[in-house]
Amino acid sequence: MTHLISHRPAQPRGLRGLALTVWATLGCCASLAFADTGIGVDTWRANKLDPSGGMQSQNCDADGTSWLSPLQRRTPTGHLYDCAHGAPLVHEIDGWLYYGVLQIGYVGIGEQNTALWNRYTDWRGDDLPILGLLDLQWIRPSDGSYANVRASRISSDDQVYQAVFGRAGAYKVQAFIRDMPNILSTDARPIWNGIGTSNLTLPSSLTPGGSTPDQVAAVSAAAPLTRLGVKRSKQGLSLSTYLTPAWTAYLNLSDEERKGTRPYGGPFFFAFAFEGPPFSLLDGGVNETVKPINDSTLNITTGLRYAGPQWRLDFSYTGSFYRDKRSAYTYQSPFTLSPLPVVPGAISAPLYQGQMSTEPDNDYHTIQATATRKIPWNGELSVSAAGGRMSQNDPLIAPINCQGVFGIGIGNLQLGPQNPMLYDCNSWNTTDALSRKTADMRIDTTMFDARIVLAPTAQWSLRSAVKFDRQDYRNVYLAYNPLTGQYGYPSENGAQGSIVPGEIGFFDPVTAPSALTRVRSLPLDIQTVDANVGADWRFSDKNTLGATLAYNRYEPTHRERTQIDTSSAKLTWVNRSLDGLTLRVNYTTLKQTGNTYTFDPYAFTWSKSLPGYVPPVTGVPVHTVDAMRKYDMSSRDENKIDVMATVMPRDDMTVSASVRGDWNRYDALIGRQGYDTAGATLQWDWQFATRSAVGAYIAWDRSRLGMSNVQDQAGGAGVDPAFGGSTYPRIGQWWATDTQRDWYAGLTLNHDIGRVRLDLNWNTLYSRGLTGYTYAGPTALAHPLSNQIGAGGGAFPAMIYRVNSITAGVTVPFTQRISLRLFDTYERGRINDWHYLGLDQSLVAGNRVYLDAGPRSYRENLIALLLTITL
Amino acid sequence: MRSFRHSKLFALNIQKFTFNFWITIALSSVLVLGTVGMAFAQKQPHGDIAKSLPATQLSSDKQADPSVPRPAPGFAQARVASNPQAPGAKPVGMQTCIACHQLEADHFTHTLHALGLISANKAEPNIPVCEACHGPGSAHAEKPTVKGLIIAYTQGGGTPIDVQTKTCLTCHSGGPRDHWLGSVHQRNDVSCSDCHNPMAKFSVEGAMAKMSINDTCAQCHKDVRLQFNRRSHMPLPEGQMSCADCHNPHGSLTNPLLKTNTVNETCYQCHAEKRGPFLFEHAPVRESCLNCHTPHGSNQNTLLVAPIPFLCQQCHTQQRHPNDLQSMNSLMTSKNRDERIIGRGCITCHANIHGSNAPAGPKFHE
Repeated sequence: MTHLISHRPAQPRGLRGLALTVWATLGCCASLAFADTGIGVDTWRANKLDPSGGMQSQNCDADGTSWLSPLQRRTPTGHLYDCAHGAPLVHEIDGWLYYGVLQIGYVGIGEQNTALWNRYTDWRGDDLPILGLLDLQWIRPSDGSYANVRASRISSDDQVYQAVFGRAGAYKVQAFIRDMPNILSTDARPIWNGIGTSNLTLPSSLTPGGSTPDQVAAVSAAAPLTRLGVKRSKQGLSLSTYLTPAWTAYLNLSDEERKGTRPYGGPFFFAFAFEGPPFSLLDGGVNETVKPINDSTLNITTGLRYAGPQWRLDFSYTGSFYRDKRSAYTYQSPFTLSPLPVVPGAISAPLYQGQMSTEPDNDYHTIQATATRKIPWNGELSVSAAGGRMSQNDPLIAPINCQGVFGIGIGNLQLGPQNPMLYDCNSWNTTDALSRKTADMRIDTTMFDARIVLAPTAQWSLRSAVKFDRQDYRNVYLAYNPLTGQYGYPSENGAQGSIVPGEIGFFDPVTAPSALTRVRSLPLDIQTVDANVGADWRFSDKNTLGATLAYNRYEPTHRERTQIDTSSAKLTWVNRSLDGLTLRVNYTTLKQTGNTYTFDPYAFTWSKSLPGYVPPVTGVPVHTVDAMRKYDMSSRDENKIDVMATVMPRDDMTVSASVRGDWNRYDALIGRQGYDTAGATLQWDWQFATRSAVGAYIAWDRSRLGMSNVQDQAGGAGVDPAFGGSTYPRIGQWWATDTQRDWYAGLTLNHDIGRVRLDLNWNTLYSRGLTGYTYAGPTALAHPLSNQIGAGGGAFPAMIYRVNSITAGVTVPFTQRISLRLFDTYERGRINDWHYLGLDQSLVAGNRVYLDAGPRSYRENLIALLLTITL
Repeated sequence: MRSFRHSKLFALNIQKFTFNFWITIALSSVLVLGTVGMAFAQKQPHGDIAKSLPATQLSSDKQADPSVPRPAPGFAQARVASNPQAPGAKPVGMQTCIACHQLEADHFTHTLHALGLISANKAEPNIPVCEACHGPGSAHAEKPTVKGLIIAYTQGGGTPIDVQTKTCLTCHSGGPRDHWLGSVHQRNDVSCSDCHNPMAKFSVEGAMAKMSINDTCAQCHKDVRLQFNRRSHMPLPEGQMSCADCHNPHGSLTNPLLKTNTVNETCYQCHAEKRGPFLFEHAPVRESCLNCHTPHGSNQNTLLVAPIPFLCQQCHTQQRHPNDLQSMNSLMTSKNRDERIIGRGCITCHANIHGSNAPAGPKFHE
């Protein structure tokens, strides 16, 4: 039995209702979508049946594209244009010409149902015939009016309907409705009841906070296979219109609703820390829970544009309004918590209920204005300014949702002075325990950009730009409980302090003056200034050299560096001097430096910054090792090259090749030390007849990331931040290298044999990732084996992702108007991810319960029969 | 019902000319027969073509038809394009162009450009059709084999790239193309017609050169397109989104041609729930999504740059559990099984890694 949480039929509402009305008014759905490359998304809507949105069902014109030449023309770079499609069959009524195509059929697939195969496509769908394509076009030549309706439906979770009408060069009105699946798991076995709701409860066969791993494993093994995924349902309306030949206005509205479930967390403190020596306990609780998704986002963009002979103006407003129907969800944890056996007679409070906040509702507004003017020397000066605000003021949830007590009692669980590590839930399970009831967080953004381009001669072009960006946090949250006078928060649903004496997460100037815990939010104000200057020199008709010098100053607050400077130089060469070759070469060298690196800029967010904090006798534990250089803050040298060549060996053939490389060296003893990527592609296209083409490609890429870290040897109490010191001795250092390699290949063939059209498409990908590690000594390891001594290393099993997909199809025209397409797709996907090794045996291990065993390999065959009718 | 090639639209426009529709077809057929052979033998001389052309039909010779609507604003100011390589050329009118370029005209007829230009021309004969983009045609008609005398948008057509782009921008300036000048595509001599082909319907939207935006971008950026075949990817291969959802290939205020002013703002367009600001923020998340995610595809889960826990351990070496080296001894198959590396690893517990709005969420546990 499969739990299809994402298969709820969407209800018409709000914008969807309006969109439906527009769509219905037109007869049903669109061709010219929102498609503004300047603003917003939704530039393309199709599905995997035909990612081109309908062009695959079109036939090439047997006459080619020109009577003057049998050859296909090329783009200026040299790529062959596709074949032009044949003229449609048109009808006429009252001055309107109309034509269209309808494609319906069935898709049959095997019984396998893996998330990798179904990720963004609902092939399983429902039992209805699929609508491959409905495409209707109306035009009125007398005044340039047009309307278009386009639709495709694989299932109720995977469908798109579009409608557009307008007058060319005057106005355009568009509407769309789209449902898209995002399947995350098809074989999850959640142990909870209430999947998809905000309250996950254990079945009666399990005792919250009191079940053994064997009991949990039995429930997990018997749980029905559940499909986890999110359905995105989006609807939109847009209007663009000319107000005058120079002024245009536009308005885009869209509303997207997401419903479903996704794997999530549920911590009740570590399990690993207790299973091995010296404790050999089953303790803590690691719950992979199911997060319910039920939210919506309303997006608005509107603006005015002016394009005149001298001036261009652009004024825009963008708004986004995210709404989540939940602020949190709760779950019961089945596992028993026990105190560390370091205090005689200690017992843990029976905690069994956790909570997870969801993303807060947020509002976003930004206005932007751009003015561009033509200036002497064939130049342009453009100035842009923007101001925005993102804010949220969601009601906050209580710090904990327990009942009774939490923490550790000595001999009993009675509150009182005799139990200083035991806490009253009622003092923390209410929003009265917060310093404020709502989040009240806000970031203001400002942006200013000015750029100039001059072309004083036909050979020279000069340019320069400067950009200023800033984001300011406008509030800070203090984790203070007015009910108790304490700072901090109950860590991990209270579990940490119910297992480890004294680690509840509270700072109390009286009872726990040395407790180190987070008490403040982290405002991350950022200011960025970019500047660049460059020139392009066309030293011959077919050669252009360009150079750009760029500088960036990045100034974050409350980060390890308050100033990071990046300088780069880029060289560009475009060459067309050889017949049949277009060559583009870009090379960039970059150097990033900064001011003093402070390894602990976060002290002000911890209790050690509060008045009354008393450092422990042994000293304040250090935040981290002083040699750590976080890679976004680190000094870095980068060299990057990108070469693209388009070769035209024959009139009907193109060979494209590219080579790229990007090498990064980080100045870090600890942290990321290097990140290199490289790749090459080779593609061959041959249009050997008017309606026939064959193409093939091979490609390879590689990335290599190197890093180092060091395990502390002080059990969390170390006070020496020095790398090589007592807390972080060099014997604890380790290194890891992750190397990813991908090999790609593919072949495409389209060919007519008589009246029958054949198509073949084969794609393969072989990805192999290898993560290796070395260490200075076994103490670097989380779990050293007893016989490990000295330096050593190893590697995880190769992480493999391999896909082989072949589609073969035949299209048989019965009449001028009716044709039948039959195609078969065979796809085999193999995956091996070491993160999930062993989970196929059991999803429960100790005090851990997982939802699934990770992505599964698959072997699928899809056969489709599609009837295409020219209307 | 009839072929669109011989459709009402075509006929309606032909009525304005001296020749009626069928005569034009007959003439065209004669010309086609004469030119097909020449087309297949590309190097035959074309010197006599001009003599065989129909009489020049200058648009301005005609009178506007008062019964048709005024030209749409977007086409009302269309004029014959300027071709610096043919300074003395004169416009010849659509009819003359069609005489040789019949098939091109047939394909062009069912495009939005044709619909707008032809209807505008019908209302206001001064508004050119073919020559709005290709410039005045007389020099080309006289010497059709000399490159550059007509504005061509194809490889080897003889028209410089900047003339091509300037011609397109005559009507399409501003808005999304506001920052074309100085953009990386402009500096790399990319032409509008490298990505667009308004001469026929090659794509359902956007007058693309290929069947989709993604296929068009992949002409040059095949490596990026192939990354979307990896294990985790955004739904681009499935046709649910396009490169242009994130990038503005016409130029923007950012180097990678992002549509918004920052990386994160681009991601928030579809992932608004990540915007926050959260009560407790994760610094690299607020800085750039790209600190942890590689947007074009990854062989890790959820577009991660590196496998967990090593991704996190590039920054986290705080005392106790974050800095331990996980090895084969930590996997589920080992007796030292460790949730920090099993399954989703670190984020099994630090689930709200993008930020937490829980008062007990500084470590993103809740």
